[in-house]
Amino acid sequence: MHRRESDEEQSSAPPTSEEVIAELNRLFAEEIEAAVRYLHLANAVRGLERLSVEPVLKAGFQETIQHAEIIARKIRSLGGVPQTDIQVSCPAEPLTGRDAIRQALTVEEAALEAYHDVLRRVSGDVSLDEFVRAQIAIESEHVAELRELLAE
Amino acid sequence: MQPGAAALHSQARTNPEPWRIIQEERNFWGRDVDVWKEFDHNIITHSAAHHLMSIDDLIGTHGYARVSDVARELNITRGSVSITLKSLKEAGLINQDENRHLRLSEAGQRLVDQIKAKRLLVKRLFTEVLGVDGAQAEIDACKMEHLVSSETARHIISLLKFIDSNAPAVAQFRDALRAFDPSCAGQPQTCAACESSCLAESLSK
Repeated sequence: MHRRESDEEQSSAPPTSEEVIAELNRLFAEEIEAAVRYLHLANAVRGLERLSVEPVLKAGFQETIQHAEIIARKIRSLGGVPQTDIQVSCPAEPLTGRDAIRQALTVEEAALEAYHDVLRRVSGDVSLDEFVRAQIAIESEHVAELRELLAE
Repeated sequence: MQPGAAALHSQARTNPEPWRIIQEERNFWGRDVDVWKEFDHNIITHSAAHHLMSIDDLIGTHGYARVSDVARELNITRGSVSITLKSLKEAGLINQDENRHLRLSEAGQRLVDQIKAKRLLVKRLFTEVLGVDGAQAEIDACKMEHLVSSETARHIISLLKFIDSNAPAVAQFRDALRAFDPSCAGQPQTCAACESSCLAESLSK
């Protein structure tokens, strides 16, 4: 089992560039996986709701790919190479629009929490701190929009 | 009638033993069609089992488990963990409190305890009885832990208890196993373990 650092240990010293790259690669994987899920969801919706839901999911796909690109550039600027090892399983089952939005919300909430998690770990690195905070603002908006669509 | 079946019937009248073996083999493969489906009907997938075990480990070590902790421990994305946990919540195996801390339900804990016990049993069987290397046994036990039935696990317990009993027969068994030459000298026809071809050779291909 990996040893988990205490909160004190996390905040005592700024992260090394290797640690920052590792954290960014985690975010990169989150965004790539979210893009795959969005693409799948956009094509799995059946029924009349498809008309309204498909554009939302396609926009989600485009945005997550853009986020992945931004993170990849950030990794490059730190001298790293983006690296990911994801396993995504998307079942061949048709979905209602509501179910697809629910799944998208699960993915967006996970991405938002991942950014919060990374923010805690990279405190001390000002530029990365700013970048992650900006991403948190964007992801929070997505989560709010999806929750609004579900109206649950 | 399938090609060759008439010849087999005729052979069965004169020598019933090969016929019995063929019948058993057919029964086995006929049963196997349903067995592989049973694999899919298993209560949880291999991945889901690891999520449950990870939650149990994290709670045991730190007193709590969050989605991010599970993701880091399993080295997968939070998105992936969230999707899997959603189905585990729906199955009533885990709960999440208001602080988003994960807990195993009573059924989830029972399942984890069973999987852990089966992993230990399979590992012990492989290392202590079969002599498999510890690291390889751990990997194989990990692959099988959630698939072994409780009935089979009980039989493994009986065997391990016997091995632990220090009965004279156990020492004899260990000595005999160590001294036994498992090669069939390229003659699978006369080998009790092999079928139409040498099983050991097919593993080394």
